Amino acid sequence: MPNSTSIPLHLPRPARVRTATADHRSASRSASGAPVEVDGRQVAQVRESWLVEDRWWTERPLRRRYWEVVTGCGRNIVVFRDLEPAGRWFVQR
Amino acid sequence: MTPVPQSPQYVELHCHSAYSFLDGVSLPDELAARAAELGHVALALTDHNSVSGSMEMAQAAQECGVKAIHGAEIDLAGDRSEIGQHITLLVRDERGWANLCRIITLAHAHTRDGPARRDAGEPSVALEQVLERAGGLVCLTGCAGRSVVIDRSARRSPSAGAGRSADRSAGRFPIGGGGGGAVDEAVARRLLEAFGSESLRVELQRPYARHDRARNRALSALARRLQVACVATGNVHAHAPCRAELQDAFVALREHSTLDASEPLRRGNHSHVLSTPAAMASRFADHPEAVAETLVLAEQLAFDLTKDLGYRYPGAEDRRAGRRLSELCAARLEDRFRSSSGRARALARLEEELAVIRKLGLAGFFLLHHDMLELAREVAVEVRGRESVRGLLAPGRGRGSSVSSLVCYLIGLSHIDPIANELALGRFLHEDLRGLPDIDLDFPRDVREVLIPRVHDRYGRDCAALVAAFPTFRARGAIRELGKVLGLPAASLERLARGAEIHYAPDRGHDAPEHGPISDRSVLDGGAPEAEAAVAPTSSPRWRWLERLVGEAYGLPRHLSQHPGGMIVATRPLIDCCPVVPAAMEGRQMVQWDKDSCADAGFLKIDLLGLGMLSAVERCVEEIARVRGERIDLSRIPYDDPDTFAAIRTADTVGVFQIESRAQMQSLRRTQPANLSDLTVQVAIIRPGPIQGGAVNPYIERRRRLREDPGFEIPYDHPALEGVLADTLGTIIFQDQVMEVAEVFAGFGAGEADGLRRAMSRKRSAEMLARHRERFIEGAQRHVGADARTAERVWQMVEGFAGFGFPKAHSAAFGLLAYQSTWLRVHYGPELLCALLNEQPMGFYAPDSLVHEAAHRGIEVLPLDVNASQVQCAVQGSAVRLGLGYIKGAASAEVQALVAERERGGPFTSLADLASRSGAARGALEQLAWSGACWPICWPISDRRSICRPISDRRSPAGEDGRRAALWQLGIAVPAATAGEGTQLSLPLGLGRAPRLPKLGRWQRLIADYATSGVTVSDHAIAILRPRLRVPGRDAVSLATSAQLPRLPSGCAVAVAGLVIARQRPGTAKGTMFLLFEDEWGTVNLIVSAVVYERHRHLARAEPLLLARGRLERAEGVINVIVRELAPLERYLAPDADGPLDASAQASVHPLRPPAGAETAAEAPAESDAATADSNAAEVGSSMRAVAPPVTSFAMGRRR
Repeated sequence: MPNSTSIPLHLPRPARVRTATADHRSASRSASGAPVEVDGRQVAQVRESWLVEDRWWTERPLRRRYWEVVTGCGRNIVVFRDLEPAGRWFVQR
Repeated sequence: MTPVPQSPQYVELHCHSAYSFLDGVSLPDELAARAAELGHVALALTDHNSVSGSMEMAQAAQECGVKAIHGAEIDLAGDRSEIGQHITLLVRDERGWANLCRIITLAHAHTRDGPARRDAGEPSVALEQVLERAGGLVCLTGCAGRSVVIDRSARRSPSAGAGRSADRSAGRFPIGGGGGGAVDEAVARRLLEAFGSESLRVELQRPYARHDRARNRALSALARRLQVACVATGNVHAHAPCRAELQDAFVALREHSTLDASEPLRRGNHSHVLSTPAAMASRFADHPEAVAETLVLAEQLAFDLTKDLGYRYPGAEDRRAGRRLSELCAARLEDRFRSSSGRARALARLEEELAVIRKLGLAGFFLLHHDMLELAREVAVEVRGRESVRGLLAPGRGRGSSVSSLVCYLIGLSHIDPIANELALGRFLHEDLRGLPDIDLDFPRDVREVLIPRVHDRYGRDCAALVAAFPTFRARGAIRELGKVLGLPAASLERLARGAEIHYAPDRGHDAPEHGPISDRSVLDGGAPEAEAAVAPTSSPRWRWLERLVGEAYGLPRHLSQHPGGMIVATRPLIDCCPVVPAAMEGRQMVQWDKDSCADAGFLKIDLLGLGMLSAVERCVEEIARVRGERIDLSRIPYDDPDTFAAIRTADTVGVFQIESRAQMQSLRRTQPANLSDLTVQVAIIRPGPIQGGAVNPYIERRRRLREDPGFEIPYDHPALEGVLADTLGTIIFQDQVMEVAEVFAGFGAGEADGLRRAMSRKRSAEMLARHRERFIEGAQRHVGADARTAERVWQMVEGFAGFGFPKAHSAAFGLLAYQSTWLRVHYGPELLCALLNEQPMGFYAPDSLVHEAAHRGIEVLPLDVNASQVQCAVQGSAVRLGLGYIKGAASAEVQALVAERERGGPFTSLADLASRSGAARGALEQLAWSGACWPICWPISDRRSICRPISDRRSPAGEDGRRAALWQLGIAVPAATAGEGTQLSLPLGLGRAPRLPKLGRWQRLIADYATSGVTVSDHAIAILRPRLRVPGRDAVSLATSAQLPRLPSGCAVAVAGLVIARQRPGTAKGTMFLLFEDEWGTVNLIVSAVVYERHRHLARAEPLLLARGRLERAEGVINVIVRELAPLERYLAPDADGPLDASAQASVHPLRPPAGAETAAEAPAESDAATADSNAAEVGSSMRAVAPPVTSFAMGRRR
C-alpha cells in the first residue's frame, strides 16, 4: 500500500556563503552581493543571477535572489538568499 | 519628488501602459510624470497592438518636459506554432506613424469575425504584412519571452503550451543549448532586408529571470553576424513599485485564473517597474553598447504626435463652402422668419455668425453636419415608414451649446429658435475659438442604429469610424474581479462589492492610498459594527491586499469600447492617422482613441447620440395614432398648457424627461415653473455646477420672494452682473454664464473666457483654474472697480461651477423635451407609460416603479398573458398590457415566434397547444408558466369560465393563478427543438392533469413576478408585508405610510417601511445619501446623513426592504424623513402563524388615517390570504434580495 505522505525532494538546505565586498568586486568583477565562497568552496564563476518575488498576498511572502555559480572544483551550485526576512542563505539543487 | 538632474545614460524604449489592457498598470500621464522624476529625457510607449494611450502620453510628456516616443508591440500571427511572437515597432517619422496605424488596423481586422463578434479575439498580423509597411519604422526584435528572432522549437519551457499567458511573462522561454544561442537567424535576416541595418535593432532585456545572460549573449552574437546594433530595453509595465503587485493580479485576471494558480504565467519578480536611467545602465553592465544605443536611437525618433497628423474633414478645403452655407441659411431664414418680429435681429445675427464662420474657415464643417442630417432624414423615413405619424417629427435634434447658433437652427441642426430664446452664441462659436466647435445631435434609438452604419457607407469605411471609449475599473467591479484573483469567497466579495463606495476617488501617488474604496473598515478588520455587516470576518493579508489592489486599479482602463455616438470622418483614410478596429456591433468600427485624444488630435467629432426619451415620445405619438386615431405634431402642441404646468408644479412628473428625479421633483415644488423659460432653468439647476457654486438655494429663495412680492429687488453681487445674470436671479446656473461673467466682470476676451470654461471641464481643472483665478480677481478690480472681497465672492461662484453644468442652449433643448413629455403624460397617460415601458432601460425609474405609479393615477396595467400580450407592451382599451418581451430568459426570437404563431393560428387553447405551436424552448415555457402568463390556458375549459373575471382579480376560485400547475404540466410537455436552421415543433400531445399542488401565496407570486419579468402588477411588497409588521416600543405608534406623511406634523418622529427604488450619494452631498422608498401608497424621500450612512452602509447600499426611523421634515410642500436608524424590514415581521392581520395591522400603523380615497384602496391588499404568511421573515428578505427590481443610483461618469 503506498504511503500517503509524500516526501519532498530537493528541499533547500542552509548554506554558509561569503559574498563579494567592494574589494572582492574590484578583484573578481563580481556583482555586489554575489557569492564568492559557498560552504568553504571558492566560487570560480557566476553563471547567472535571478530574482523571485512571489506569494506577496499570503502570510509568507517570498523574495529571493538566486545565484548559479561554478566552484573552483567544477561543481555547479545554485544558492539563494532570502531577502525577506533578509540574510539567510540556502543551497538548492 | 523633485526631478533628479543627471546626465542621461539610458532611454526606455519598451514600456506598456494600462492601455495594454491587463498587461500594464499605469496611465500614460503617470508614466510620463514618473519618468521626469527619475531623470529620463525620453520615454517610448509600446502597448500591445495599440496606440490608445499615445496621444495621452504625447500631451502628458510635453507637460513634463519628457520626449514622447511612439510605437507598439505587435503580435505576429505565426503558422509555425500556437503562440504568436512579438516585435517592437517605434515610429521614426510621419510615414512610420501611418504604417504603424495600418499594421495595427490589420492586426485587429479579424478580431470580430464569426458569430461570437461581441468577444474580441486576439489581434495579430502576419510578418509579411509588417515587412511591407516597414517605411518610417524602427524594428526591435521583441521582448525576452516572445522575440521573433528566438527559435521557438529550441525553447524548453514547461509552460510553452499555456497559450497567450506565457508569452507576456518575460524570461519564461530561455534559449536552449546551454546558452549556445538557438536564434532564428532566417527571420532576423528577413527583418534586416525589410528595415535595413539603420532601422533594425536586436532587443536585449534583463528581467532578472534565469537564462537572461545566455539569451542576451546569443542575441548579441546574432547582432554581430547581422551587423546591426543591440539596444537595451526594460519592458516596463508599472510606473512605480506600489503598482507592481497589481501587474501580477492582472496576469491572473487576464488568464481567468487566481494568483495561487498562475505562478507559471507571471513574471516572477517586479523588475518591470520603471527605474532610473542609472539603474538600468547598471542592469545591462554586460552590454554597455546596448545601453548607449538607446540614446542614439531616441535622438533619431523625431516624430511628434502633437503636430499635424494630416487630418482633414470633408469640406474643410472647399472654397465654395462659405457661399453655399450663406445661400442655404438665407433661404431658410426667409422661410422661418418671414413674418416674425425677430426678423431684423435674425438677419443681424446671421451676418455675425457667418462672419465668424468665414474667419475660422468652418463653413465646410457646418455643411458636413447639414449633410449628415440630410442623411439622417433619409434614414428616418426608411425606419419610421412614409405614412407613420412619426414622420411629422424631425429626424433628430440638437443638444449642447450648438443649439444657440442661428446657423444650426437654419440648417436643421437645432430645433430651438435662438432669437426668440435669447441664446448667446459665445459658448459655441467665437473668433478666438481654437479647434472645432461641438455639435451633438440626438436621434431616436432606432434611427441612430441604422444611421451609424450608413455614415460608414456614405463617407467610406476607410474614412469614417466611431470614437472609442475606455470603461475603467470601478470599485465594485474591481472588488469582484480582484477578489476572485485573490481566491476570496464569492459571497463575501459580493456583499462587499454592493457596499463599496462608488464615488471613491483615489489620491494616488507612489505610495498606497491610506484608505481605499472599501471604507467599511469592519470588513477588513474582521469586526462588525452592525450585526448584519459581518461580511468577511478575517484579517488575512488577502483582504488587505484586496483593498490595496482595488485602490490601485481604480480608474485604469479595463478594455476598449465604443463611444455612445461620437463619429470621426476624414478626407484621407483614417487608418493613416489612427488605427481603426471593428466594434462589437455589426457594421461598426472605431478608432483607437477616445474623445479627449481625438480632440487633441484635432479630429472633427460628430456626436450622433441615441436619446431614449426621444424614442419614447415618438413611440408614444405612434401609439396615440394607433389607439385613438389622433396625429400629434409635438412641435405644434400648446406650450402654455395649464394642466401641464400644474402637473409640473406639483411634481407629478414620474417618467418624464429630466424633471422626474427625486431631487428635481423636490425642487419643482419650490421653484413653481410657469413657462418654458422657467423650465429651461429647472433642467439646469440640479447639476453639480450650480450646486457647488451655491446657486440653488439663492435662486429658489429669490423665486419665492418674487412670487410673494413682485417688487422684490434681486441682490446682485455687483451691478455689472445684472445684465448677464438677470434670467437666473443673480445666480450662475448655466455654463455660458461663467463666460459672460468673466467677460463683463473681469474683462476677459471671448477666447480667454472659453479657456476658463474648458479649464473647468478638463481633468486637471484644479491646476488650470488656479491660474485663471489670479487673472479674474485682478481683472474684476481693474475692469469694473470691484473690491477684492466682491471679486473673490464672484470667483467663488465661478469656481464652484467647475463641476458639470449645462449651457443654456442645451437646457432649452432639454427643457422643451421635458415639457413635451409632461404634456403627453398629462393628456395621454397610458400611451406614454406604454412607450416608457418599451424603451427601457431609460430614465430614473424601473418599470416596476412606473407601473406602481401609474396604478396610483388610475391607469390599469394588465399582466402578461400568452393569448393577449404582444411582444412589446401595448395599449389595450384604456389599459396597458405588459409585453412578452419582458419575460426574462426568453430569447426575443422565441417571443416573436410565439406571437406570430398566435396571430396565424389563433389563440392557444391549452398548455399542450402552447408547447407544440409556439416554438419556444423549455426554459422560455417555464418562465412563461412561472410568470403567470399562461393563466388563461391553465385549467380545463369547464374551470376556465369561472376564472374569467376582471384581470385585477384573475385568480382561480381558490386565489391561485395556476402557476404551479402550469409549471408542472409544461415540465412533462415536449417543447420544440432547434434543428439545423429551423425549429422542430413537438406533437400536440395532451398533458396529464397536474396533481394537487400547494397554493402560491401572495408573497410567492410577487417573487415569481420579479424573477420572471421584473414587474408586478398585483400587490405591492409592502402591502403584503404590512399586516405582519411588528414594530416594538414607541416606534409602533410612529409607523406611517407614505400617504400619511403629508398630514403629520413637521418634526415628529416617524418610522417608514419601504422597497428601496433609488439610492443616490452624489459627490456634491458630502457623504449624505438620499433614499427613495416605495410603499403601497406612493414614495417617501429619506435623507441619510454621512454618520448614519457609515453606521448602516450595507443596509443603505444593498438591502431592498428597509425600515427607517427618524424625524419628519416638511417645508414648502417638500417632505423628507431625516433618518436616524435603518433596519432590515424582515427583522420586524411577525411569524406566519399570526395569519390575517387586518385589525392588528391597523393598530400598529400611525394613528392618523390615510386620505379618504386611498383608504378604500387600502383594504384590497390587506385581504385575507392564508398564504400571505407563506414565508418566514428570513425567507422574505433573502427572496427579495435575489429578485428585487433594479435601483437607480448615481454613478460618476467614465473617467480615463
